[in-house]
Amino acid sequence: MKWWTIKIMLIPLFISTSIQAQDGYERKIEKYQNAWLKLIPRYSKLQFAGGIGMFSGGMGWDYGKHKCWETDLLLGYIPSFSHEGDNKLSFTVKQNYLPWNIGLGKGWSLQPLTCGAYINTVFDDDFWAKEPKRYPSSYYKFSTKVRSHVFLGQRITLSDKENSNRSMSFYYEFSTCDLYIVSAFSNRYIRPKDILSLSFGVKVQFL
Amino acid sequence: MNKLKIWLICSFAGLLSGCDLIEYHPYVASFDGEKHINQKNIEKIEAICLDKDTIRFILMGDTQRWYDETEDFVTHLNTRNDVDFVIHGGDISDFGLTKEFVWIRDIMSKLKVPYVALIGNHDIIGNGKDVFLKMYGDENFSFIAGNTKFVCLNTNALEYDYSHPVPDFNYIEEEQNDTISTYTRTVCVMHTKPGDEQFNNNVSKLFHRSIKELRNLQFCLHAHNHRLQVDNLFGDGIIYYGCSCMADRNYLLFTLTPKGYTYEVVDY
Repeated sequence: MKWWTIKIMLIPLFISTSIQAQDGYERKIEKYQNAWLKLIPRYSKLQFAGGIGMFSGGMGWDYGKHKCWETDLLLGYIPSFSHEGDNKLSFTVKQNYLPWNIGLGKGWSLQPLTCGAYINTVFDDDFWAKEPKRYPSSYYKFSTKVRSHVFLGQRITLSDKENSNRSMSFYYEFSTCDLYIVSAFSNRYIRPKDILSLSFGVKVQFL
Repeated sequence: MNKLKIWLICSFAGLLSGCDLIEYHPYVASFDGEKHINQKNIEKIEAICLDKDTIRFILMGDTQRWYDETEDFVTHLNTRNDVDFVIHGGDISDFGLTKEFVWIRDIMSKLKVPYVALIGNHDIIGNGKDVFLKMYGDENFSFIAGNTKFVCLNTNALEYDYSHPVPDFNYIEEEQNDTISTYTRTVCVMHTKPGDEQFNNNVSKLFHRSIKELRNLQFCLHAHNHRLQVDNLFGDGIIYYGCSCMADRNYLLFTLTPKGYTYEVVDY
């Protein structure tokens, strides 16, 4: 076999590997971009009340089978926190679970149950997550700064007919927080209505 | 149709604003219902005890998260007709939450006799202090029942990191120097007594010397330790009486007579 025939026979090999290398690189980039794209919030929410502020707004992500899980990050505004004019901000991480989705026609759908939990922290220097050192150890055994809440609610959604990824939802929720549950637990006097809090919200899905 | 919509929205908004279910944060120090309770009840106490030579009052405290027990206390006390007033020795709430103050206030408001409440260390955490000031009034206050003056002091120094005068010696001095002639003796009331971890113990002896200069000091009262205590703390015969918490279902009943005083522990 002559040298040039060997060369010709080797050409496709080089071409194919270079194509492969191109493919691999692009795939890598695509994967990388997709990973970052997942971090783009898919919706925004605005909530009224619920123990985390008068109004709380933020963004979030939905995921899982039928998008039944949602995680929100919300910044809340609390007017007149300790006294008139003492306005504070709070931050909330909220986890939602929506097990069912019922189509109602004409783009409307109902999520008959929403449930989940949220953790809230208030930005106030007088509030502590861990007891300040001046106290004997385990003096109060709880945090004034961080509250955990649980909630149950319902939601109704209107989807964009032209783009099913776009929708608008309205929800209400009943929630309560850790310290209220502890208080109600050992007392007949405290009834569910004493510790429940009602909130409303709107969610705008854009991805 | 439009009118109906507007009406619906307005009534819904009205319903919400008047609704207890709307909460912006558990620690928001605003609430509905009665405020400035101490001042109102002091007027009642002073009127009831005016010109009386024998006075009977109750010391209780630490109602924190014992709502059922506090309710039972109120029911029990309303069957008695021989008590002039009640002193709540502080720790109204457990977590300093606004709702806790409201719950205890609503239970205590059913008492037939007037009561005053002191601020406890648990009432200061969170925004509790602001709730207390709105609901009950000043952290240091005094009133006169018959011929006895009661000087009630905030002694929860640990809560303030020494950034606030606790105990407030200037206030004690004002009480020492008052020119009111209608009383002949004094009782000093506080949530936490000298020697407790909550007290500013650097000034314990100074504090005791200072309150002894109140006109004819008889004895001191406190709560905080969740047990009955009778201590001659400084060995000079001024006794510090401590009541138990509501979980123990008892209280201290004091009778002030022209010649002196007696006390008993009452279970309910």
